[in-house]
Amino acid sequence: MTDKFKINRTNLSLWKGIAMVAGTFSFIICMLVLVNYIQINRIDPVNTEVINSLVDRLNDNPNDDQLREQIREMDLLVRKAYFTNQWQVKAGGYLFLFGIIVTAIALQLFYAGKQQLPQISEEEEENIILFREKARKWIVIGGSGMVGITMIFAFLTHKELGNQFTEATAITKAKQVETNQADATVVEVVVKEEIAEPVVEEKVEEEFKEETPKEETVVPAAKKEEVAAEKAKTNSYKGTYPTKEMMANFPSFRGPGGNAIAYQKNIPNEWDGASGKNILWKQPVPIHAYNSPVIWGNKLFLSGANATSREVYCYDRNNGKLLWTAKADQISGSPANPPEVTPDTGHAASTVTTDGNSVFAIFSNGDLIAVDMNGKKQWAKNLGVPDNHYGHSSSLIVFEDKLIVQYDQKKNSKVMALSTSSGEEVWSTVRKVRVSWSSPVIVNNGGQVEIILAADPCIASYDVHTGKELWKIDCITGEVGPSVAYANGIVFALNEYASLVAIKPGEKPEILWEAYDYLSDVPSPIAYNDLLFVVTSYGAVACYNAKAGEILWEKEFDGGFYASPILADGKIYLMDRKGVMHIFKAEKEYVEIAASALGEKSDASPAFADGRVYIRGEKNLYCIGK
Amino acid sequence: MKKSLAFISLLIFFVGMEFAAFSQQQRFPKPEFESGYAQPVTSMPVPRDGMFALLDVLVLIAVLSLITWFILKKRSRTGVVAVSIFSILYFGFFREGCVCSVGSVQNVVLALFNPGYHIPLSALAFFVIPLAYTLFFGRTFCAGVCPLGAVQDVFLMRPVTLKKWLQKALGLIPFIYLGLSVLYAATATDFIICRYDPFVGIFRFNATFFMFAIGAAFLLISIFIARPYCRFFCPYGVLLNLVSRVSKNHLTITPSNCIQCKLCENSCPLDAINKPVVVKQMEDKRSATRRFILLSLIIPALMIVGGWTGANFHENLAKVNSKVRLADEMLHFDSKTMKESLEIEGFRTSGKPVEQLYLEAAEIVKQFYYGGWILGAFIGLVIGLALSGLSRYQYREDYSPDKGACVSCARCLKYCPVEK
Repeated sequence: MTDKFKINRTNLSLWKGIAMVAGTFSFIICMLVLVNYIQINRIDPVNTEVINSLVDRLNDNPNDDQLREQIREMDLLVRKAYFTNQWQVKAGGYLFLFGIIVTAIALQLFYAGKQQLPQISEEEEENIILFREKARKWIVIGGSGMVGITMIFAFLTHKELGNQFTEATAITKAKQVETNQADATVVEVVVKEEIAEPVVEEKVEEEFKEETPKEETVVPAAKKEEVAAEKAKTNSYKGTYPTKEMMANFPSFRGPGGNAIAYQKNIPNEWDGASGKNILWKQPVPIHAYNSPVIWGNKLFLSGANATSREVYCYDRNNGKLLWTAKADQISGSPANPPEVTPDTGHAASTVTTDGNSVFAIFSNGDLIAVDMNGKKQWAKNLGVPDNHYGHSSSLIVFEDKLIVQYDQKKNSKVMALSTSSGEEVWSTVRKVRVSWSSPVIVNNGGQVEIILAADPCIASYDVHTGKELWKIDCITGEVGPSVAYANGIVFALNEYASLVAIKPGEKPEILWEAYDYLSDVPSPIAYNDLLFVVTSYGAVACYNAKAGEILWEKEFDGGFYASPILADGKIYLMDRKGVMHIFKAEKEYVEIAASALGEKSDASPAFADGRVYIRGEKNLYCIGK
Repeated sequence: MKKSLAFISLLIFFVGMEFAAFSQQQRFPKPEFESGYAQPVTSMPVPRDGMFALLDVLVLIAVLSLITWFILKKRSRTGVVAVSIFSILYFGFFREGCVCSVGSVQNVVLALFNPGYHIPLSALAFFVIPLAYTLFFGRTFCAGVCPLGAVQDVFLMRPVTLKKWLQKALGLIPFIYLGLSVLYAATATDFIICRYDPFVGIFRFNATFFMFAIGAAFLLISIFIARPYCRFFCPYGVLLNLVSRVSKNHLTITPSNCIQCKLCENSCPLDAINKPVVVKQMEDKRSATRRFILLSLIIPALMIVGGWTGANFHENLAKVNSKVRLADEMLHFDSKTMKESLEIEGFRTSGKPVEQLYLEAAEIVKQFYYGGWILGAFIGLVIGLALSGLSRYQYREDYSPDKGACVSCARCLKYCPVEK
């Protein structure tokens, strides 16, 4: 006899009890999770009303440290609450699942216990003919309904999408052709101007006036005239940049214009700090900082700062004698307490700059000082404490009589030009960017001198005379540290976790190519001829074809790099974090020339004079020569 | 009783393990973005390495063989339940519902229409192996290997029988869903089966509120209506249904000859038992034949109407494609009055020329135009065949499983008093 129809008797009351407890538990958990979920959705931890109002108050009163602290605490609290809520929802989800599983099992066992022997239904069967008729009817109704609803939708939303796109393609192409034609005409005019004009700066304005009617005759449409006039206005710089004087010296971070190219010759390759080989002199620097030396004539300048003191130093570059120290103190508006900075940035990460008449230095608290070549204070001002969580590190640079300051902060970022003689603001342009640590680079791009700046989210160019934004392109993200490089009309920018981009500048900048293999968060790249050299902070160096973006060579070093490389005499000088200078040829293939140790750690870029290299170590300043 | 307690202990252990792993993750919350960028909900778990992908395929074969043996040889419902629970745990919670046979349809279609796409071998295996088993043994895959079916099955407690005509009408939805998923996969637009899978978010603990609500609703309905997703939505079920109809060794209710005791009559919660058709219920042969011929003849007309409707609706269908949506947005974007969306900003920063986007979007819209015709015609064909099929009468004397609709859950087996 089979036991097929044997009914498994289970403890009905037990399983019913378990099912009820687990079911109630699941229901309660489900409700709690729902409430929590709704709460999470209503809160935006980075945009709460209370914190926003406190931040507004802080903007009105930026030196209120107590308020700042209060905001931080509030912020932390809100974020903690947010993540705790998230955790609770997920943990609740697991508990709910567990509850549901137990309920399901208990109910299954309960119903299994209530099973009855199979019964023969006495009910009248659904008539097969009727069922089929009904099924056909409902399929027809369903199908017709579907066709009807679909057609109504199609009719109401129909807009010839495909044709619209095709037309839009044609219109965009036609516009492009028009723009190209306009550009070609403008270029033609500009070329004619250049040929007609002698390269004498004083006569530029006159020549421009003379050329204007000619321009009008060449460009037919009114719109094209405007474009040409606009271009002619901005293309008015006929001098050379960097100037010969700048090229003869090393006036700013990454050399003249900040483009990482030095013009000095006979630079030594080999030295050894431990044995003193080729070390001409070595001098201690009073206060440590991460800025690099700059040179004008026989004088070498750098700065040092800690929480209490901010100083500018001048050394005789021939014998290493500390000629003078200028203190940046008693500056009106300077905060009583310095801002918090991280140890690897410090209070004077920005490199000083000089125009041969004055030396300019900026510090982490926003103090900006100008001293003459003999150390006498010319002017000083406080720009407001930079809202920068690591510490301000953008270096200064001079163009003619303007000191350019890139002041990217968490809020109210700007770039400004101050008069080198008085410190008064010549122009200031608001930048819609996030805080950055990169430095300005000034280039002469086809007769137009531009300041090119990098910060999340864009690479932007500004007219050095007026501060007007010339172009910008959104292509960079994150905490941008490296500055841009420029060569042959192409701007190169990169940042860690973003990408390396080659940009064709202009009114409508274009990305020529993009790469992701080697990215940097601190050192800046070098562009030279048709090559681009990218240095990463973890120790890799790569050489790219600057036009096509393909990697020509790549090389790994042990030490890691914070210092930006400089090109001098056809060679690249790259200081690793252990203090070893890696020198290699700026060529399509990697050719090592030397690896010379300083004998102490260094994160500063070298400065050059004919036959000499100047390096700032962790504690000392070195002069290297033969 | 002991078995049940042991099982609950195992579940506590399993959920506990998952919970511990989840607690560890919480120390590193995802970053937030000031730009307003929202972390997307992951639609697929990390792909498995070669060896593990092979392991998944081997597990699939082993579990399919085991459940087939349980159904056909052992005729054991308990075995089916045990395999179902294993599948929920392994293919569901452990493998997070991916790779899954239901979704693999889209991988196959994408590979057929896009030569640049190389279908993962595991996806191909998950598509082919259940079909092969179904061809020989019926839908044993649905019985308890597919985690989506299994999870609905364990929730079934008080089955309610739906009206037959309603089942027939709702049974056309999977065909429409299959057609849509093929269209979107062929145009490389989206894998809609995966995106709108009601249970995968629950398996992964990352369902959006909407999808969680849908999943929960399906499970609640499953308490009363057996396998609502399998019967009225599953697109892979359509293929299995068709293949299973010609299966050689499909499950039989009786191990020997049917004695027409009627005991099994109401045993199937899916209503997939064909009852004997008594002569008195059969329609007049002449009128039935005339209707059958008439309905068969209007199939081409239905296909044309369907195709024309689909073609007219192609713009709406195309708007699911992200490229078309972006191009449409770009076309109507006015920088003076409108705020730039993240999508437009992203496109602009990519440096891609806008005319190229328009060109590509126009091409996709064109594909959807033709796709709309084919989809509509397919739906018309399905409706036509369903209508003519409902005019076909087959004389039957015994109780036998409806080979297409039966998912071989083995519930009916113990109702049969016949011994071998």
